[in-house]
Amino acid sequence: MATVTNWIDHLSAAEVQGPVYPGVGTEGILVLVLVVLWIGWHFISNAQEKSKMNEIAKRRPGSNDWKSNVTDG
Amino acid sequence: MTDQLSALTTIFTEFYYWITVVLMFLIHVGFCMYEVGASRYKHHQHTLMKNTMLIPLVTVTWFLFGWWIYWAFPTGPGLAPSIMNESAALITDESLFSAAWYVPTSDLMGTNLNDHISGVFWAAFLLFSWTAASIVSGAVIERITTFAFGILAIAIGSCFWVIDAAWGWHFDGWMLKILGYHDAYASGVIHAVAGGFALGVLAVLGPRIGKFSSSGEPRNIGPRNPWLVTIGLFLIYTGFWGFYAACNIPIFNLGPEYGMEGVTFWTATNIYVTPTTLSAITFNFLMSLSGGLLAGYVISKGDPFWTYSSGLAGIICASAGNDLYHPIQSFIIAMVGVWVAYKMHYWVERKFKIDDAVGAVAVHGYAGVAGLIICGFVLNGYPSSGYSVGAMWVGTDYAPINPLGMFIGAIIMFGVLGFLPGWILAKILHGMGKLRIPREVELAGLDYTIMEDAKSDEKAVSSSSR
Repeated sequence: MATVTNWIDHLSAAEVQGPVYPGVGTEGILVLVLVVLWIGWHFISNAQEKSKMNEIAKRRPGSNDWKSNVTDG
Repeated sequence: MTDQLSALTTIFTEFYYWITVVLMFLIHVGFCMYEVGASRYKHHQHTLMKNTMLIPLVTVTWFLFGWWIYWAFPTGPGLAPSIMNESAALITDESLFSAAWYVPTSDLMGTNLNDHISGVFWAAFLLFSWTAASIVSGAVIERITTFAFGILAIAIGSCFWVIDAAWGWHFDGWMLKILGYHDAYASGVIHAVAGGFALGVLAVLGPRIGKFSSSGEPRNIGPRNPWLVTIGLFLIYTGFWGFYAACNIPIFNLGPEYGMEGVTFWTATNIYVTPTTLSAITFNFLMSLSGGLLAGYVISKGDPFWTYSSGLAGIICASAGNDLYHPIQSFIIAMVGVWVAYKMHYWVERKFKIDDAVGAVAVHGYAGVAGLIICGFVLNGYPSSGYSVGAMWVGTDYAPINPLGMFIGAIIMFGVLGFLPGWILAKILHGMGKLRIPREVELAGLDYTIMEDAKSDEKAVSSSSR
């Protein structure tokens, strides 16, 4: 994975290669992974949110019931 | 960076923008505090999470496509040819300022020893994107799902605001050339577009339960924690100051840039590469803040929520021309903007039953639109770009700043790229049943189970320590 193994060789080259992150050339795969993680996050968090909402909606607490759950103090 | 002078210039510029990014982070801290302060206790944590999660969502999508849009869309496409390649197509060629360099697979979008600045510029614009999304966040508190808000945040933060930035903020933007559009510190480019977008969403989302009586009379649901609101707005002011610096180029030799032989003129410039000074924007930032605060205090009869918001509205209204205005002009324009924002807020609330929980549409949208229209009159006749006067860009001319062009620009910002996409996306999300939380949850409080769990944790801790 290492793009640079010797800084002296790298910086004294006739033309210094710009990108130095590991795996230069694999950017397409990295972007694909990011897209999957991003879209996946929406699906997972949506399912979690839906389940939380359904739970509260099913129990139908009153609009002042939250006050008995205040823990401050 | 082959000699010390060019290295110093590069590193100074890099560091200058880097500092502005850090300062602008305070805008988001401020928005979070402000929103939590404005929301009711039973919704606090959800409100905070909703606004916080826009940070990663907009950042990821900004990396994937937002930054690319800024560099690709100045021509429309199809509305005005680029001054760089004379084509009206998307700018994706091999030219210096092409979007080709900012696709997510580009090696400039990473650690690159030959490019010291791209990531810092990317971040500066990203912070603007967070702000655009955060403006919407405040308006919709206590009744929108986090899922829907995430989609809307990406839409405004990584898509629609950046299209308008490419059109009206980029030195090659078609709105400068055809309309003479001028918006140095984003009255329209960020604020009017985000305000319009928020209004579009609110029109579909509906008001919070209890906001209007059965006869349609609005009820006040005031901020629950005025101290958080206060600190939040002070932080937004501070970050906004950083934003002003971020919109400038700190040091530039305009002579060669405009193609003027033998002329050397070092100056700071605005984002359009026309001259201004840090001195000018400091005068004007503070005078417009002051005009806004004074006007807000009187108009709202000393209401702290509106007075603080009016400081922000004042700056927003004067921002379009704060690179060139006299400080007293800025001051007066800010006062006018606050009056417009305040009056419009209550008129729209009563007339259309719009529940804008934090006054975001007013402070950002209406004040932004007013600022653009006023700028068209006050700066009427100024060149919208320096490139139209030099030899460098012969063959492509820019319209001067003018009232009609700025009026049309305001409609594009608030209506075409703001309200319309917000309304359409909200309609789609509503149609999918994903926009609004269930009525029972809204009444019980979004944090109901979190608070219940906390209570049971507390009970367990207490019983173990007996």
